[in-house]
Amino acid sequence: MRHAERAVRRGLRVLDALCARLYGVAWNPIHQSGTVAVAMLLVLIGTGLYLVLFYRVGSPAESVARIAADPYLGSWMRSLHRYSSDLFIVAAAVHMLRMFAQSRSWGPRTMAWISGLTLLGAGIVCAWTGFVMAWDSFGERLARDGARLLDALPIFSEPLSRIFAGDRPVPSAFFFVNLFAHIGIPLAMGVILWVHVSKVARPVLLPPKRLTWSIIGALTVLSIILPAELGPPANALLVRPSTPMNLFAAWWLPVSERLSPATAWGSMIAAAILLASVPLLTRRRREGPLAASVVDPRLCTGCNQCPQDCPWEAITMVERDDDRPTLVALVDPARCVSCGICAGSCAPMGVGPPGRTGRDQLASLREELVTLRETQPVVAICCSQAPVSHVDALRVRGAHVRPVSCVGNLHSSVVELLIRDGVPGVIVCGCPPRDCLSREGPKWLNERLFNEREAELRERVDRRRVRVATLAPGDLSGTVAAYEAFARHLSALDAPVGEPAVEIDLICDPVPIEADA
Amino acid sequence: MTTPALLLRRAPAIAVTAIALAGLAWLSAAPVPLSGAESARLRLSLSARPERIETCRVLSSDELAKLGEHMRQRVECEGKFASYQLRVSVDGSPVHESVVRGAGLRSDRPIYLLEDFSVNPGTRAVHVSFRRREHVEDEDDDSRGQRFGADTGLSMGRAEREDVERARRARAAIPRLLELDTALTFTSGQVIVVTLDPENRALQVLAAAPASR
Repeated sequence: MRHAERAVRRGLRVLDALCARLYGVAWNPIHQSGTVAVAMLLVLIGTGLYLVLFYRVGSPAESVARIAADPYLGSWMRSLHRYSSDLFIVAAAVHMLRMFAQSRSWGPRTMAWISGLTLLGAGIVCAWTGFVMAWDSFGERLARDGARLLDALPIFSEPLSRIFAGDRPVPSAFFFVNLFAHIGIPLAMGVILWVHVSKVARPVLLPPKRLTWSIIGALTVLSIILPAELGPPANALLVRPSTPMNLFAAWWLPVSERLSPATAWGSMIAAAILLASVPLLTRRRREGPLAASVVDPRLCTGCNQCPQDCPWEAITMVERDDDRPTLVALVDPARCVSCGICAGSCAPMGVGPPGRTGRDQLASLREELVTLRETQPVVAICCSQAPVSHVDALRVRGAHVRPVSCVGNLHSSVVELLIRDGVPGVIVCGCPPRDCLSREGPKWLNERLFNEREAELRERVDRRRVRVATLAPGDLSGTVAAYEAFARHLSALDAPVGEPAVEIDLICDPVPIEADA
Repeated sequence: MTTPALLLRRAPAIAVTAIALAGLAWLSAAPVPLSGAESARLRLSLSARPERIETCRVLSSDELAKLGEHMRQRVECEGKFASYQLRVSVDGSPVHESVVRGAGLRSDRPIYLLEDFSVNPGTRAVHVSFRRREHVEDEDDDSRGQRFGADTGLSMGRAEREDVERARRARAAIPRLLELDTALTFTSGQVIVVTLDPENRALQVLAAAPASR
């Protein structure tokens, strides 16, 4: 499974880099795949509400043909509905592949993986019902094969396939049930979406507005220029040699039609089991870099910052079992993904994954300071997920690279120690904001360094010597330009003056419960 | 940056987006061929109840007297549902032969039949026979339904009603032999359906006029 993860990761990196080059980091749709899927779901609901007003279960093919023939609104509204469903499936599949490639499919993310799979499956089934609603040759072909598969199960007393035999008209009740499913499934998807994001704090559901409207605009233009094709009306007494087929929702159909129902069901069930087993197959031992955060209750002041910053709602404040008048943080290891963001949020450095707390970061830095004092390089603190080529480019340009598991894990005291010790400048290089494996690393880093969010960079630190940059695959020139601009900016400043034996504040005042209230 | 320069800089992104959108539109309605569509099909489709084959006995007055008044059914029948031998041949060559029973564990549910046979286009001699497999001794005896004595009390007229119901069920059931022997002209891709005409209790042929595909 690790080989598969690596292979998918390599493929996505290429796509990611291409999109970053074409659209820029902020507009990279690959980073927004999950939110694009949600946006498409909303477009589907909006256009679907319009279309259902003109749909007739008594004459499905005729009513859809009437909608498609309306040049003012109906035609492009129907096409936008169709293309949105296609993009929904593509975006959801890319999102799933990204989560798989980034090993974000196991442990605390298991529920999100399973619910995400369910959402994708429900989306595909909903798309099938939509195509059947149109009752053209493709809809009939889908309905016929779906009925053939369902007839293999002991559900219906009369085989569904007989509905489409051609010896009698297809009853309106069939189209009514189909319409009911087409409307009911998205409602269920809303509930599943809630489950999907229920374990994360501050879930981001939509892409940035400009990207959202650009995608909708592009699909609208496509709908006007190339309206979605409507096949010839269904006819049970005619087998057409070819059908205009939607390969997003029904890529399986040409294969399924050649298989016996038992083989088709067996293949589907095997695929579903394999996909649902991914959390089991990709899980790692919760040790080393994947160990859950721990709290040192002696250091915890009860300030309530780490629960606010944790992107996974894995930390709660509970009563202490000693006589100090404060609460104490408690990490739920079942929800903690070991991102280390809590370590960056804790002023007294009392919480974080083992080996990555603020104190651990300071201790390892102090060992490096002797070398740094001699060479006086610009220090680039880079996220360990950064592309190797970008990190090498910084090294080549003289930067001393110091890795960090996530920029959100970085404690501001590390930056303070570097600057006060006489390093000319520190550039912190994180992932693109919507591509952070820890979800909110770059956001909290900026807040802590420049907007006084706990644990803030102290006032005494010269902000002119601190910069934040983004390392995005496919944007090496952007990384180099940001570094070189920072280096030029530093060279215009006075030579840095290091303080002898820098002391960092390690103890904070406790925050009593009363004061917090 | 001026608008033309901005457009020039964005040209690759615009071009790739346009290609991706065209790809989306094409994959949204890709013409996928259906294998075997060049031949025609003979479809056999029917649903009807199998015949109930019963052995009935008229209870004596003593036997009836031993029963509760509301249970005094004059005629007691035991039986089973018929099974049928289906044979289909095209141009004299058998293409299908099977035993067909009613659905359900006791075969007491209707028979649902849906079979497609691939046929080469052209005029074909089609023979379909649907024959009951069970033999019934006195099936042509018209007096079978007239052996009930007069009822009294709560059972007044019950035997007659049962008789009517039995006759109705027999009419709704598949006859002991359904047969179709005809020549049908198939065009490429055409589906001709052979089904049961419930009014005439005989097999009938349904076909759409050959249409452009």
